[in-house]
Amino acid sequence: MQLARKFLYGGIVILLMAGALLLATSLHASAYQPGVLDELSSVEVPPAKLEPCLHCHIQGEHTNLWTPTSRWLVFGTLGLVFLFGFYQSASIWTQRKPFKPLTTRVADWVEERFQIAKPLNEILKKPVPSFARWWWYCLGGITFFLFVIQGTTGILLAFYYKPTAAEAYASIQFIENQVYFGAAIRAIHHWSANGMIVMAVAHMIRVYIMGAYKAPRELNWVSGVILFVLTLAFGFTGYLLPWDQRAFWASTVGTDIAGAVPAVGNLVLILLRDGWGVTEATLGRFFGLHVLVIPIATVVFMLLHFMMVRRLGVKRPL
Amino acid sequence: MKDRSSHEILPDDKPVPFFPDHAMTEVWVALGFLGLAIVVGVLGMFKHIGLGDPANPLDTPLHVKPEWYFLFLYQLLKVVPDYVFFGQIEGRVFITVAVIVGLIAWMFLPFFDKKDDTSKRPSWIRAALSALALIIIIALTIWGEVS
Repeated sequence: MQLARKFLYGGIVILLMAGALLLATSLHASAYQPGVLDELSSVEVPPAKLEPCLHCHIQGEHTNLWTPTSRWLVFGTLGLVFLFGFYQSASIWTQRKPFKPLTTRVADWVEERFQIAKPLNEILKKPVPSFARWWWYCLGGITFFLFVIQGTTGILLAFYYKPTAAEAYASIQFIENQVYFGAAIRAIHHWSANGMIVMAVAHMIRVYIMGAYKAPRELNWVSGVILFVLTLAFGFTGYLLPWDQRAFWASTVGTDIAGAVPAVGNLVLILLRDGWGVTEATLGRFFGLHVLVIPIATVVFMLLHFMMVRRLGVKRPL
Repeated sequence: MKDRSSHEILPDDKPVPFFPDHAMTEVWVALGFLGLAIVVGVLGMFKHIGLGDPANPLDTPLHVKPEWYFLFLYQLLKVVPDYVFFGQIEGRVFITVAVIVGLIAWMFLPFFDKKDDTSKRPSWIRAALSALALIIIIALTIWGEVS
């Protein structure tokens, strides 16, 4: 594909995405419902200045928060480009030799200090068999990508979520109705969670059918099954967090089942619920598991999983 | 005969460099899924995921259902008889323990199934087994969904 055409398609995609974003923003603004917090808020919005002074106008102080930043970005970039062009021309003119590109300068600077080029090249250029580009080898990668999406949207949700019995429900309502793009973030988190389970199962079935779990990749399979259990644990702990009837009773029944295991059942039940019943303590425990313990364990096992894949390569199909 | 268990890359495999050839396929797939996520997000702004009634420990609803991926296990627990093995073991306990033991056995599968494949036949058998397991799980899930 010609470069110009690539840019044309890229431009059209960016325009379409910008349009969709604009539409979504305006729809969100029109659907905004003023809530209790707006009235209780002690922050007073400063009144717009009707006749701004010149520097206020240039800095965009009478408009919104983003205006000065975006103006500095746009005009600052133009200024830097101009300065750089001037410097480049001047240096070519004075030194009478071709200008060394900035990227080369930066690469040289880094290389001089870290001497990373050789190992990095080895890592990046490692040969991969071309059969590993069939779509069914992508399933594990998709699971990982969905995990990244989950991490990102999960952090955004954690900014507003409150893991207490009194506030959990209301904080999710707040996320869905007031927070900018809150409903979108929650929808992505919800559906990516489902997608992650589907993709993990698909990946596991693929590995099973192709017999890729056999020597020397046994530990890769073990770590994979552990990751799958962790994914299910994500689903189970995350399901309680909205603290509605479905969540509460599904968790009650689910932990009851764990309690049915002979000998260790009651201990597991107490450890899961932080007490005999599902209470606020359970909510706190599930929240801690969901946002700290399970993610850290998942990242550790994913690193092991990937390092072993890297080391042992993809099993050659028959 | 080639050693098929080996992880060495042979010239037959027509190797490509990890970056950019192999990595770019992954990046394109990831971008596709990112687009899908954005579509889901935009749709989610019109139709919220929503919430049920607030949790009330004093009011047990008639039908409690877990998430769909636990539904087949839940259905299994619901339909198992109260006592199995001539009334010796409680059915619920049996299923729970069986699932946990099964999962642990599944985890250590490579240590049971050690023989290297020499033909395509074992793959087909495993594919048939997976299909069978999937059909059973999907059937149980649907049963749990409608009951």
